[in-house]
Amino acid sequence: MKGKFKNGITGSMASIATLGLLIAAPLQAADGPTAQDLVNDAGSTGDVLTYGMGPQAQRFSPLAKVNADNVKSMVPAFAASLGGEKQRGQESQPLVYDGTIYVTGSYSRLYAFDSHTGEKKWEYDARLPDGIMPCCDVVNRGAAIMGDKVLFATLDAHLVALNRHTGKVVWNKAIADYQAGYSATAAPLIVRNMVITGNSGGEFGAVGAIQARNVDTGELIWERPVIEGHMGMLNGKPNGITGKTNASWQGDLWKTGGGATWLGGTYDPDTNLIFFGTGNPAPWNSHLRPGDNLYTASTLALDPDTGVIKWHYQTTPHDGWDFDGVNEFIPFDATMAGKPMKLGAKADRNGYFYVIDRTNGHLMGASKFVMETTWANGINLKTGRPNFVDANRPGPPNGSEKGTSVFSSPSFLGGKNWMPMAYSKDTGLFYVPSNDWGMDIWNEPIAYKKGAAYLGAGFTIRPVAPDHIGALRAMDPKTGKIVWEYKNKAPLWGGVLTTAGNLVFTGTPEGYLKAFDAKTGTELWKFNTGSGVVGSPITWEQDGEQYVAVMSGWGGAVPLWGGEVAKTFKDISQGGALWVFKLPKS
Amino acid sequence: MISRRGLLGSVAASLVLSIVPARIAAAPLAKVRDLGVLRVAVYQDNRPWSWSADGAVKGIDADLARAIAAELGVRADVVAFLAGDDMGDDLRNTVWRGGLLGFQPCDAMMHVPFDHKLQLDNDQVAIVAPYYRESFAAVCGNEQSDCEVPPPQFKGRRLAAEVDSIPDMYLMGGFGGVLRGDVVHFRSGYDAVAAIGQDKADVAVATRAQVEAATHDLANPAIKRRTSPLQAIMSPGWDIGLAVKENSRTLGDAIEAILAKMTADGRLAAMFAQHGVTWRAALAG
Repeated sequence: MKGKFKNGITGSMASIATLGLLIAAPLQAADGPTAQDLVNDAGSTGDVLTYGMGPQAQRFSPLAKVNADNVKSMVPAFAASLGGEKQRGQESQPLVYDGTIYVTGSYSRLYAFDSHTGEKKWEYDARLPDGIMPCCDVVNRGAAIMGDKVLFATLDAHLVALNRHTGKVVWNKAIADYQAGYSATAAPLIVRNMVITGNSGGEFGAVGAIQARNVDTGELIWERPVIEGHMGMLNGKPNGITGKTNASWQGDLWKTGGGATWLGGTYDPDTNLIFFGTGNPAPWNSHLRPGDNLYTASTLALDPDTGVIKWHYQTTPHDGWDFDGVNEFIPFDATMAGKPMKLGAKADRNGYFYVIDRTNGHLMGASKFVMETTWANGINLKTGRPNFVDANRPGPPNGSEKGTSVFSSPSFLGGKNWMPMAYSKDTGLFYVPSNDWGMDIWNEPIAYKKGAAYLGAGFTIRPVAPDHIGALRAMDPKTGKIVWEYKNKAPLWGGVLTTAGNLVFTGTPEGYLKAFDAKTGTELWKFNTGSGVVGSPITWEQDGEQYVAVMSGWGGAVPLWGGEVAKTFKDISQGGALWVFKLPKS
Repeated sequence: MISRRGLLGSVAASLVLSIVPARIAAAPLAKVRDLGVLRVAVYQDNRPWSWSADGAVKGIDADLARAIAAELGVRADVVAFLAGDDMGDDLRNTVWRGGLLGFQPCDAMMHVPFDHKLQLDNDQVAIVAPYYRESFAAVCGNEQSDCEVPPPQFKGRRLAAEVDSIPDMYLMGGFGGVLRGDVVHFRSGYDAVAAIGQDKADVAVATRAQVEAATHDLANPAIKRRTSPLQAIMSPGWDIGLAVKENSRTLGDAIEAILAKMTADGRLAAMFAQHGVTWRAALAG
């Protein structure tokens, strides 16, 4: 069991930085995990306190009791159904603390299960207004824990803090207006005494923003809009404009520029920066908004105490393909060209894997992690900009006839969508859950929106290979080379876990949780959970044994699309259960 | 030209394939009468067609839904909903499936373009009863003394449009993009026209109903309606009808009959006039 620092010991920032290196003695404070415990989460094996298994979200566990030699014997310890009639996509990552597994479910539900038996301790069902019509399923990606509270975001754009023992509401704040189409599905990030969230959805042209709130009260501390020209706030006062007004947008388009921060962020205690990705710009058709459209489709590094942007890197300047830049940025350290460096990596929707100096945002490397990127021929390492293929940018709206069809790969669902990758300190490799698919896209001459004539785009998503869409790929961040890959017929839509046991775990829509050799990609174990796995697996140690857990329940955005892609998953049934595995007792 | 029966014909063909027993197909109208309520979906924030004020849903579509219910001898339950990314989302959420979070399907949805392709792409609904012909129009305030000039000559004026609409694309992308730097964006076409009255814009392009209603509400004689066409606007206009479930033809037929009666006795035009909009017959039918 991981040690807990008693309340008050955490002290100043300087002492936090020092304590960050310790693996503490097994003490158990009555009042729950501290901010320092969250910082130490990656090294503590007796619990899982953060989304990403550590603030850097490397999803690496130092545990090796289950390893490449014995994983073939792993069996279920127990399973726990979410119950009710509500199923659909279960994209959550469980947390484990103090004998309890906290996991969110579809439809904004949060469960506490006994981590030894799977018995349900309590369940919280958010009461959701029936008028919410989410664009892309009713998922939730996980909770956060600190002190006596577990926190999660709900489909009606609320942030809810519950007592971790009872499931009773401590506070419940609207973080955006659901009636204007805002929603929330990402796991909150906790840094010190702040719970930090992005935003998602919103009426057309809503502007992406990041907010920090007091974890005890839910009161807003700072807010940072991510589109240039908008004013940030700190403690109720203006705190400087984001970027420079009209530097990369024409006219007043920045006011409705998009850039939703819907996937949440990561935190690097080492550089004291938080990293958030931003969504695609609005309006959709790029010909109507010349310029780079900062800071859409970017990774932003922010000061967690003030929300001030320290650097940005834009993965898709002037996006014209719906390549959200929301993907997680995972800090890691490595030696590049003989020099030890503080780096970060991101596998973008646009099909490129970026390695960036996380102290200043400079691009160190960028390489394809999917079979085909039709929109760009590589990334220029000097300028940091893509070598665009202009012929493959969808055309301007004209309204008179069906526009020329462009084949775009990746499709707008991305080389990698929401599902988080993992980084192994042992192998030095990133494990990227990717998809090889493209889309035919054209301008529709006659379309309608909100009952009025409109110039929309038509598209068809299709596989680019005969034998697979999904591909779990091991990427070497130093060389940009793919070291191994595992191909999957259906699109991969779940997160990845890697361990010091030379293992990589991920789930498949076909229902399996699978384990691979982290060095070679050899499939070593699989178990069918009865429905598609689109959640993120975790591992922890309990009573001297190593446990692995994952949510099962098919859904998410993939089933919304038909055509060729749908053939790979049409027979998969819905579900909603937590599965927990371990080795048999010898 | 699409005939009114043209769209229904394709629906009838799909009905044969889906093997819906006749007594179920006949049930919807009887069900509405039994329950004593007609549940109708209208768009949120779609002035002058439907918007919420003082705790009620107002507008032409809301009035029309209530009049249809009254003619059927039942109570109207007018429900405003947030528009999705496309009409397919709206029809699925409000008419044939309902919302994932418990939003009950409605008997009908107002303000559905009466369009052959839209019907083919959404074969779970029947689009019926076209009740208005919509198109785009422009108005000018005092600062733009001549509203009839070719649009490139609007350069340098504040040009108002609803964000991400055809008027927006027309002004931003048309004429080689010369007007792009002059466009000011609003949440709705109605707001874009109203901005002229608040001296936040000089020219506005919006739907004809938005132009007429906002101009009427502003009651400002300085606001001039453009009479010459908007060169190269990307839509010649479209008919607006309403949608019922594809197996609700009895209800659809009843609504068509009611609207025909309201058209003939002048009630439909009067209802539009109350909101400052001149009723125009749909081209279909």
